[in-house]
Order: sequence, then structure tokens, then C-alpha cells
Amino acid sequence: MNNSVFHFTVKWLGGLKAVPLLGQVFDSCLKIYVSVLKPELLDWIDEIEREVCSWEDTTVGLHRYGGTQFNYRQKEIGHIHSNGILDVRLNRKTKQLLIQENKVKAHHVFKRSGWISLYIVNKKDIETALTILRLSYKRVSNG
Amino acid sequence: MFGFKLTTMKNEFQSKLFGFICSNLIILCIIGINRMLHVNDGGVLVFSEFVILPILMGIISAWFWRDLNLTSGQRVGYSILNGSLAILLSFIFLGEGMICLIIVSPLIFAFVITGTFIGKVMFKKKNRTLNVSLISILMLVFITDSVSEHDHENMVGDEILIHAPADKIWKHVVAFDKIKKGNDYWLFKIGMPSPMQTTVTGYQLGAGRKCIFSNGYVFDEKIVTFDVNRNLTFDIVHQPLDPEIMGHIDIKRGQFILKDNGNGTTTLIGNSWYKLHVFPIWYYDIWAESITRNVHLRVMEHIKELSEQ
Repeated sequence: MNNSVFHFTVKWLGGLKAVPLLGQVFDSCLKIYVSVLKPELLDWIDEIEREVCSWEDTTVGLHRYGGTQFNYRQKEIGHIHSNGILDVRLNRKTKQLLIQENKVKAHHVFKRSGWISLYIVNKKDIETALTILRLSYKRVSNG
Repeated sequence: MFGFKLTTMKNEFQSKLFGFICSNLIILCIIGINRMLHVNDGGVLVFSEFVILPILMGIISAWFWRDLNLTSGQRVGYSILNGSLAILLSFIFLGEGMICLIIVSPLIFAFVITGTFIGKVMFKKKNRTLNVSLISILMLVFITDSVSEHDHENMVGDEILIHAPADKIWKHVVAFDKIKKGNDYWLFKIGMPSPMQTTVTGYQLGAGRKCIFSNGYVFDEKIVTFDVNRNLTFDIVHQPLDPEIMGHIDIKRGQFILKDNGNGTTTLIGNSWYKLHVFPIWYYDIWAESITRNVHLRVMEHIKELSEQ
């Protein structure tokens, strides 16, 4: 249900993302929703954050459209929305490979770009999320 | 070893407690100073008080909680607790009504959580330039918004089809006996006063009208248009000093228009004009419209029932 609300908002109210902090407020609403209906998801996101922050030169920030953003120095590795959608930018070849393996989906908005989306629905997805983030980290850190 | 653990636990507890107490105290002081300076002479509650201050509250608490390694779930829970504390303090010190506080709570929770997570990132990065500049921007927005002019008036209209001619409906429009039907609207069910009865001093222009609510509060009205079987318009000359509405909304005018459909039925239209004193409009006007609509419908359905008997 939270993903359908998320997709509806992104599709029909996406233009409002330019309003400062609105993305963050929307993400806070997702946090309230998730903490009531699926609190373990927030723990899984924390686990991902902890692991990524242990990599060299990574920092965590707020994604401008809501969620937690992982950076290598000033460059984005990926970001995760509080309903468990992880968005990561890869090269097209890796993206196609991962989609063929049924591990990820094309990005929920930019379907033709190198961005992918992973829907974290159970604890096992943490491993996949970290593998994908590691791919992006290597890509970004290698320039 | 045990002593060290106990000291750590004590420190953690103190940090958590300071996060709650200090953030609420600072915000209460800002509101107090703002009111002392009479920035809003009309008692307008600007959007900053419901947006900027809760964000600031979250940031302040995040500063106290910065070394606690809280999980996201804990941060959400503590933010809701912190927001609830702010709501409780508003009830005690600012004299706000319970229904108002229920209405405002989603806004407070969402912005306090936002502030807490902004603070988490701010203090993790140890980026003092960002911290100072963000807080300065928030304060600047707050001050600018506080001294700006705020004015919002709106009209809500509803209509209902009644299977009776206008002349049979008219007398029930001007005044009606007690509504005995239970409430359907959830805010009325949890205690918001609902319209109960209307009395009138005379069936003429200039007559006084009283709209009595379920808690005994009375809106004094004066009939300004008395076009029999067509149009009854009245100005609200005095509204009750109820904390739920006082300083938040002024009901300015009410109107009933009867349209004869030519087939023995009549369309009854109810209009209300109000002025809001709470901001942001995009949030409070949704509530004001919803409440006004349900006041209309309760009265108009009662008029329909009386007229169709």
C-alpha cells in the first residue's frame, strides 16, 4: 500500500518536489507509516546505512527529494526512500544484467536511464542492496 | 565495570531527557517572545509556528541525541513523543482546545520527525557552517513570516435536494427545533460541538437569530436578507469564546438559498463565509472546509427531514 501511495505521489505530485523540504516531509510521513506497519524495514535501512558508512570516504546525507543519500566524497552512490525503495545509478550494461537476473527493476521514474530501483521487502534484500551499492561505490570512486 | 555501565546509562538517559525538555523549552520561549512582542496583533498563528518551529524542535533534540546511536525507529518514536509533549504544553500554556490539537498533531509529528532526521545528518557531518546557515535560514523565515500580513477568507457552499415546495421549507430554514439525530462526522463524534438548534426573534429583516451548538455555545446572528421562500442571509455578530475556534476562525456570514425546481422539489443551498487565522492555508483550509461542510449537511439534512414530513 505504501508503495502505491509513493508511486501516486511521485507521478501526480512530483512537480512539488522543487518545494524545499517537501520531499523530506513526505519521507517523514513514510517513516510514520512504516514504523507502524513494518517497523523492521527501518532497521534494515539502518543496517544498510551502517554498512555503507563503514566504506572509505562515504558520508550520509538527505536526498533532495526525500530519503537518505549515500555519497562518496561529493558524488552520490545511491539513495534510499523510507518505504524501502533503493535507487542506485549504474552503467546501462550492469543495469540490464541485473534486470535480466531479476534482482532489480528499472528506476521507478527514469526508466531509460542507468538508474535502477530495488524494493526492499525482506531481510535477504539487504544483501542485494549492499551488492548493488558496492557496484555503484566502485563505479563512482573509480571516477 | 558495572559502575562504568551505570554511568553510561545515566548519561544516555540524561541526553534523551534533555532532548525532550530543552527542545520544548526553547520553542516555548520563542513562541512566548513572539507573543510578547505582539508580532501578530490579531493573534494569527502563522505557518512558521507549525512548520519551522517543529523542524527546529527536531533539530535541537537531535543535537542532544547525536551520540546515542539511536535507530530510525527510535528516532521516529521519540519525535512523536516530543511532538506530543509540545501538544500537551500548548494545551496547558496556550489554552488550545483538544480538537484543535488533534487537527494540528499530524502536521507537528511530520515536521518534528523531519527536523530530527535533518539534525541527525547535520550533527553526523559535523558541518558547522551548514548547521549555522540552516538554522539562520529557518529563523529568518520564521521572523519574516511572523511580521508578514496574513489574511485568508473562504466560502463553502453545499446543496441538497428536498422533496417539498419552498414555502414548506422556508420556516424550517429560518429556525428549527433540536436535532435529535446522532452525529455521523467523526470530529463531532469525538467531541467537537455540532449544531443543535436555531431560534429567531422574528420572521423579518433585522431579526436576531441564535445558532445553538451541542455544548451550549451560541452564535448570535442578525438577518440581513429576508427574501421569503428564496434567500435568508445572516451575519454572525458574536461568536462564542470557545478555545476550539477562538483566534483560529471567524465565521462571518451564513446563507440559505432556496431554488424551486418546478416539480414540487426544491434545491436548498447553504453557504458560509469564514476568515482563517491559522496558517498554512493548504493544511488548515482542508479542515475548515470539511468542518463547515459537515455543519451545513447536519443542518440541511435536518431541514430536509422536517420539510418532507
